[in-house]
Amino acid sequence: MDMARLLIHARPGRAASMILSWVLFVVGIGAYVYIAQERHRENADERVTPTLTQIMRGMTDAVLQPAEEDEPAAPDATLRQRLFGSMLWRDTKATARRFAWAMLLLVPAVVLGLHMGVFPYVAAFFLRFTLFFDKIVALSLLPVLFIVFGIDELSKIALIVIGVAPTIVLDTFNLARSVPDEQVVKALTLGARDVEVAYRVVLPQILPRVLNGIRLNLKAVMLFLFAGEMIASTDGLAYRIALLRRHMGMDVIVPYVLWVALLLFLVDLGMRRANRLLHPWFREA
Amino acid sequence: MALITVDHVGIGYGFPRRQVLENIQLTIEQGEFVCVLGQTGCGKSTLLRLLLGAEQPATGRILIDGVEHPRPDSTRGYVPQRYSLFPDKTVLANIMFGPEVTEFGLFKRVSPSFFRRRRELRAQALGYLRRIGLHDSDAHKYPDQLSGGMQQRVAVAQALMTSPRMLLMDEAFSALDAGTRRDMQTLIQDLWRATGTTVLFVTHNTEEALRIGTRVVVLAKNHPDRGSRVALDAVVPERSRAADLVKLAGDVECASAGDDAAGPSSRGRARRPQVSSVSGRGAAR
Repeated sequence: MDMARLLIHARPGRAASMILSWVLFVVGIGAYVYIAQERHRENADERVTPTLTQIMRGMTDAVLQPAEEDEPAAPDATLRQRLFGSMLWRDTKATARRFAWAMLLLVPAVVLGLHMGVFPYVAAFFLRFTLFFDKIVALSLLPVLFIVFGIDELSKIALIVIGVAPTIVLDTFNLARSVPDEQVVKALTLGARDVEVAYRVVLPQILPRVLNGIRLNLKAVMLFLFAGEMIASTDGLAYRIALLRRHMGMDVIVPYVLWVALLLFLVDLGMRRANRLLHPWFREA
Repeated sequence: MALITVDHVGIGYGFPRRQVLENIQLTIEQGEFVCVLGQTGCGKSTLLRLLLGAEQPATGRILIDGVEHPRPDSTRGYVPQRYSLFPDKTVLANIMFGPEVTEFGLFKRVSPSFFRRRRELRAQALGYLRRIGLHDSDAHKYPDQLSGGMQQRVAVAQALMTSPRMLLMDEAFSALDAGTRRDMQTLIQDLWRATGTTVLFVTHNTEEALRIGTRVVVLAKNHPDRGSRVALDAVVPERSRAADLVKLAGDVECASAGDDAAGPSSRGRARRPQVSSVSGRGAAR
């Protein structure tokens, strides 16, 4: 085949793209299985690389059995009761609740950024402080938060908000500022008042980019959430991972890590789909 | 009383101050079609922004019907060269934006009268849509899906929906190809005749100005360190008087080159009493 056809001008077909996109997954899983088997052949008590069977067993327990610290499931419990009482479900629920609160608290950040972008006096008041606040390493505040708020939910959610909100504020601010002046003048000449310019002209046209900004920050949200959970928590996915580290419970840690990645991937995908659905005019989504 | 009075207006930017406009004096009567000409950087767009109220003159005053309007409002319609439509709204929503935002604030949008009035507005907007040469099927497209010429058509309709006293157009057709541009010139002339609104049209194209305007105003610097002044202010002769048109075109070129030797005849034409300009084609409606 002509070499040039494989470079910039290449047009991979559907099937080729599909196959290529899965190669690394297959290679990764294959390599893991091979290494795990090799290590188990040398040492039957090997705990660092559980085999697929061990992972499956660990995962089945996580999905169907309650955590050690919880009441064991009643022998006659239905599958439904088992699922909702299981370790995985409870941990996921605890983490999801904190995650949802953090996302909800990013809404005021977007509103603040919007107002800073539209009203110069609001920017004059908040911008320098936000720029500085953004540079505070949020994790370094964790001890302070624990001292001030105690080690309950509030300090963990505060950590996420402190860590991510300034970025979202600044991102929204920049987006709002980048709306061409023509749009604002046009809206005013059409009879819009200032607040309407902010909420009916500027916000709708930056919203898809704001959502994309939040999508990029999902990882940061999870990072702070996990830091909080690992250090001080009694439930949640990160708490479980930190706890199982003590018993070298790799058979549960590995699937937990993949489960978190999958969840985050789905949240991101959902936000992308929603963005496209809500903003059909937006081409970059 | 004149519709627009520009009274000894000057403005400059930066430090050291670079004067852009200096001692501009103009009066524009209801129903005129004034084309503002001049070379790049002569302050045409600045003059338009001053008239819009998007910027404040450093010296002098701008009166609309004898009153100062220090910020953009619905007395003046605006059609910029770019970013003239709201990208997140459909063509129909763009056209309806003016009346909708003027009559219904954020909270009145739930009243039954809103829906009734909205139907009327929709009918009116569709009427405009057909008048500017778009099809009903274009009503639900987004600006991004329209060609540049179509976008500017919609922008004109959008501005006219609120029946402004005057329409301020900033190089509105300059990004369009020659054929589309010709169509747009015909359209804007038809709309101007039909609505009787005053048009102030900023362009760098002499031919365009002479084709559509009833009066041309040329801005030019006569010294590199000073601001632009009105170098020529003349009534555009009837189309039939080809010789006069050619002569005026020559005068415009000389004046915009900052050439004081534009000839005694053109000096005589410049700054003639404004009353005469209304007796031109503008008053013939």
